[in-house]
Amino acid sequence: MFLQQLVNGLVIGGIYAMIAVGYTMIYGVIQLINFAHGEIYMLGAFFAITFISFLNLPFFVAFPLSMACCAVCGVLLDIVAYRPLRRSPRLAALITAIGMSIFLQNLAMIIWGSRPKPFPQGALPAYFETTAVSFGGVNLSWFHLFIFGLTLFMMIGLNLIIKKTRWGKAMRAVAQNQTMAALAGINVNRVISYTFALAGALGGAAGIMVGSYYNSIYPTMGYVAGVKAFAAAVLGGIGSVPGAMLGGVVLGVAEAFGAGYLSSLYRDGISYAVMIIVIILIPAGLFGRVLKETKKSM
Amino acid sequence: MTNKRTFLITGLVFGLALVFGITTGAMADNIRIGVAAPYTGDLAGYGDNIKAGVNLKLKEINDAGGINGKMVELVWGDDLCAPKDAGTVASKFATDKSIVAVIGHLCSSATLAAMPIYVRAGLPAISPTSTNPTIGTVGKGWFFRNCYTDDFQGKYLATYVVPKLLKKKSVAIFYENNDYAIGLKNAFMAGAKTAGVKVTGAEAYVAKTTDFTPQLTKLLRDKPDTIFLCGYYPEGALIAGQARKLGFDGPLFGADGIDNEDYIKIGGKAADNTYLTVPFLAASAGPAGQKFAAQFKEAYGRDGDWMSANAYDCLGILAQVIAKTGPDRKKIRAGMAAINSKANGYNGITGLTYFDKKGDCSKPAFVKVVRDGKFEAAK
Amino acid sequence: MDKPISPNLTRGAKIRIGLLILALVLPILPFVSDYMLHIIILIFLYMILSLGLNIVPGFNGLLDLGYVGFYGIGAYTSGLLTYHFGLSYWLIIPLAFINGAIWGILLGAPTLRLTGDYFAIVTFGFSELVVLFLTNEIWLTRGPLGLPGIDVVSIDLTLFGGPKWEFVGEIPYYYLALVMVLVTCFVMYRIQDSRLGRAWFAIRDDEVAAVSCGINLLTYKVIAFAISAAFGAVGGSFFARWVTFLSPDMFKFWESFLILCMIVLGGMGNIWGVMLGAALLVSLSEILREVLPLLGLPVEVRFLAFGLIMVLMMRYRPAGMLPIPAVAAKMRAGRKKRKKEKPVAGLKS
Repeated sequence: MFLQQLVNGLVIGGIYAMIAVGYTMIYGVIQLINFAHGEIYMLGAFFAITFISFLNLPFFVAFPLSMACCAVCGVLLDIVAYRPLRRSPRLAALITAIGMSIFLQNLAMIIWGSRPKPFPQGALPAYFETTAVSFGGVNLSWFHLFIFGLTLFMMIGLNLIIKKTRWGKAMRAVAQNQTMAALAGINVNRVISYTFALAGALGGAAGIMVGSYYNSIYPTMGYVAGVKAFAAAVLGGIGSVPGAMLGGVVLGVAEAFGAGYLSSLYRDGISYAVMIIVIILIPAGLFGRVLKETKKSM
Repeated sequence: MTNKRTFLITGLVFGLALVFGITTGAMADNIRIGVAAPYTGDLAGYGDNIKAGVNLKLKEINDAGGINGKMVELVWGDDLCAPKDAGTVASKFATDKSIVAVIGHLCSSATLAAMPIYVRAGLPAISPTSTNPTIGTVGKGWFFRNCYTDDFQGKYLATYVVPKLLKKKSVAIFYENNDYAIGLKNAFMAGAKTAGVKVTGAEAYVAKTTDFTPQLTKLLRDKPDTIFLCGYYPEGALIAGQARKLGFDGPLFGADGIDNEDYIKIGGKAADNTYLTVPFLAASAGPAGQKFAAQFKEAYGRDGDWMSANAYDCLGILAQVIAKTGPDRKKIRAGMAAINSKANGYNGITGLTYFDKKGDCSKPAFVKVVRDGKFEAAK
Repeated sequence: MDKPISPNLTRGAKIRIGLLILALVLPILPFVSDYMLHIIILIFLYMILSLGLNIVPGFNGLLDLGYVGFYGIGAYTSGLLTYHFGLSYWLIIPLAFINGAIWGILLGAPTLRLTGDYFAIVTFGFSELVVLFLTNEIWLTRGPLGLPGIDVVSIDLTLFGGPKWEFVGEIPYYYLALVMVLVTCFVMYRIQDSRLGRAWFAIRDDEVAAVSCGINLLTYKVIAFAISAAFGAVGGSFFARWVTFLSPDMFKFWESFLILCMIVLGGMGNIWGVMLGAALLVSLSEILREVLPLLGLPVEVRFLAFGLIMVLMMRYRPAGMLPIPAVAAKMRAGRKKRKKEKPVAGLKS
C-alpha cells in the first residue's frame, strides 16, 4: 500500500511540477502570478482531443502539436493582456490575470461544452494499459513509465535550456533585473514572450498527460490544478525552477499519502494549507530568495 | 465623461425595465408553466434531459388541442443548480401571475432554496428529480415530486440489490460529498445493517476529483465484494476504471446518478458489470413507456433517461389536474394533493404516481446493468 | 482633502437625496413587483459587501481575494445561531460583525506584512479552506446537506408583552437592507474622514512615506482587514436570514471575484463608485440572464463578459467609472512612466 501510494504521489507530483515550473518562470521574469496558467494547461488537453477527434491525428503527433498551440496561447496571453500593463500597479495586473482566467474558462465551456469529456477511445497505444514493471505489489504500466519518463525528460530539458542556452541566460538576466538586462542589449519583451511560450508548452503537456491518464477533461480542470501547482511553486521558492520541480513532487506525494491515510475530503485543503504555512513561515520557500518589496507594488 | 456615465445608467435602467417588463407581460390566453433546471453550466446535460422530456409531452398535449382548448406554454428558468439563482428564478416565476405551476427544480439544493418562495406566493411545484427527503417538510403542501427519495433508494440497494440480486456480502462505499450522495449513503448503511451486509469502508470525495487511486488502494485492502458508486457518473466512471486497473474485478453498483450514457463512454470496458437502480427503464415500462422511448429516440437521436421520463410524466400530471381545475394556482395544488391513493393515482410511463401528505411519492425502482458497453435490464 | 469632491456639490447632493426618496417609496409604487424588490435587495446586499471589500483594495491598496470566506463565515454564524438557538436577528448582527472581525484579525495579523501578491494568494487559500471546512465538518454545519428552514427575521417584543412580527415577503427585507446600506455608507464616510481613513490612504499612496510619518503599517492594515471582514460577515448574516437556506457551495471564489469586479468597475476607493458598481453588475447579470437565451447565447457568455470587463477596465480605466483622483493619478503615473521608458527599450535588436 505504501509503495502504491508513493507511485500515485509521484505521478500527481510530476504533473504538478510541470505546471509549477510554468508559474515560477513567469513570476521570475515579470513578477506576476499568472492566474491564467491553469487555463493553458486545460487548453492543452482540449487541443489534444480536438486534434485527435476532428483531425484524426495520431496521439504522438497531436501531443507536440497541442504543446505548440499552448505555447502560442501563452505568448498571446502575454501580448494581449499583460504587456500593456507591464508598468502598471501590481493590483491591476493581478486583476487582469484573474479576469483572463475566468474568460478562458468560459470560452472553453462555450466551445467544448462543460461536461467532462473522455479521452478519445483508441487514441492511446494499446500497450499503454499493459504492465511493464511489477514490484512490491505495485504494477507500473507503460503509461506510468511514459508519464514518468516524459516528465523527467522535460525537467532535464528545461534545466539545460536555462543553464546552457543563450535564451536561458537571457531569461535569468531578465529575472534578476529587467532594466540592467535591457541595458545589456537584451530584448526584454522577446525574452518574456519566450518564457511564456516555454511555460505554455510545459503546461499544455501536463494537461494532455492528465487528460489521457485520468480520462476526464473539463473546462474548470485548470482551476484547482493551477492553485495546487502554485502552492508547489511557493513551496519550492517562487522564482526557482528546481524548487518548483521539487515542490511539485513533494506536494503530490503529500497529497497522495494524505488522501490515502488521512482524510480524502481535505485533499485539496492540504495544498492550500501548505501554501499558507510556507508563505507565512518561510516565504523564501525551499530554494528561492525572499521577495523584496519593490516600489512598484501597490 | 458625465455623458458616458448618464448614458450607461439610463441604458441600465431601460434594460432593467425591459427585463421586468418581459417577466410580467404574457400571452394571457396560454396556460403557462415554469420549468426550472440548470440549462447552462456544469449540469446542463441534466437540464437538457428535462427539456427534452417536457417538450415531448408538450407537443403531445398541444397537438391534441391543448388543455380545454388553451395551448400550453413553457417558461424556462435557468437555475444553474445553484441556490442563489434558484431563488431568483423562483421569485420571477412567483411574481409572474400567469405562471400557474412549476416543474422543478432539478437539484435538491435548488429546490430547497426555491420552495420558501413558492410557499409564500402560493405556487405549486412538482419536481421530477429532487430526491432529498427534507424538501417535503419545507414544501408545506406546495411541493410534490415524481421520483422516489434517497431514503428509499438507499434502502432498496442495501436490502435487495446487494444481498439478493448480486448475492454479495461486503461493500466498500465511495460517496460524493454532497447532499444527494450523503443522504443515499446514510440510507444505504442503515439498510445494510438490517440486511446483514457488511460495509468495509466508506470514502468521501469532492466533485471533479479525477484521481481516486489513493483512496481505492486503501479501500481495496479490505477486499470488499463490491464497490458502491454513490455519486454521479463522471466520477463513477473514473472510479470504475481505476478500480479495475488496481485489480478489482467484482461487480460495481450505483444509483440513478450513474445512469447516463457517458458513464459507459468514459468508463470504457471498466464500466461493464455495473448495476444501477433507476426510476425508469424502458424495457420494463410497458407499452406507453416503450412508445416514449421510441419517440424520444426519434426526436433527439439518443436514448431517453429517467429524468426525461419523469419530466414527461410531471407535465402529464399537471395537464391532467389543470384540465379538471383550470389555471388557478390554489386549485391546482388542491388537485395535486387529491392524487393521494392507488385508486386515483396517475398512470404514466414511469408507473403509478400518487402523493402522500408531504408530496412524496413511492415509486418502484428498476435495476439496470452494463454488459458489453450497453445498458440492459438486470434479471 | 481626500474626499472626492465633485465640482458641483449641490448637484451631487440633489441626486443623492432624490435617490434616497425614490428608494424609500419604491415598494409602495404600484408597478413594482416582488421580483423587482428581490433584485433590488440583492443589489443592496452586494452594495454592503462591496463597501466592505472596498476598504482593502480601495482604501489600502491591497488585493483581497478571499472575501467570500468572511461572507460565508457571517452567513453560517447567522444561520447556525438561528437554526440551533433561534436567536433574534438583531442580536446576530453584532455577533456576526464581531466574528468577522476576529477572523479578519486572525488571518490578517500573520499575513499583512507580506507583499501584495503573496497576500492575495493567502487570502484566496483562506477562503477555499473556509469552504472546505463548511463542507466537510458536517457535525457543525450539516455540510452539503445545507441548512434549510432558517427562520425569517422578526421583531419580537414578546419579552415586553408585545406582539411578535415576522418578516413576510420582500418588503420588510427591502427596508431592512436599505437601512443596512445607509448605515454602512455612513460608517464608511465617517471612517474616510477620520484619522484612520487618512492613515489608510497614506499607506495606499506611498507606504514608505507613510512609515516615515510614523504610521504603524501592520496595525492599520490589520484594522482595515478586520473591518472589511466584519462587514462581509454582516452581509452574510443578512443573506442567511433572507434566503433561509444555506449550503457551502454558495460561497465559492466566484463571489469574491464578482464583488471585486463591482468595485473595480465602479471605482475603487470611491464609496459611491463602489455602490454604483454593485448596482451595475447585479443588473447586468439579470439582464443578461433574460436576454442571452433570447439571443440564443449560452449563459457562459455572462461570466465571460465579466472576465472581459475586468481585463478591459484594467487596461483602459483602471480607476473605475467614478474614479478617485488619488487612485486615478497613481494608475496614470504608472502608465506615464512606461511611455517615457519606451525609447530606451527600443535601442537594441
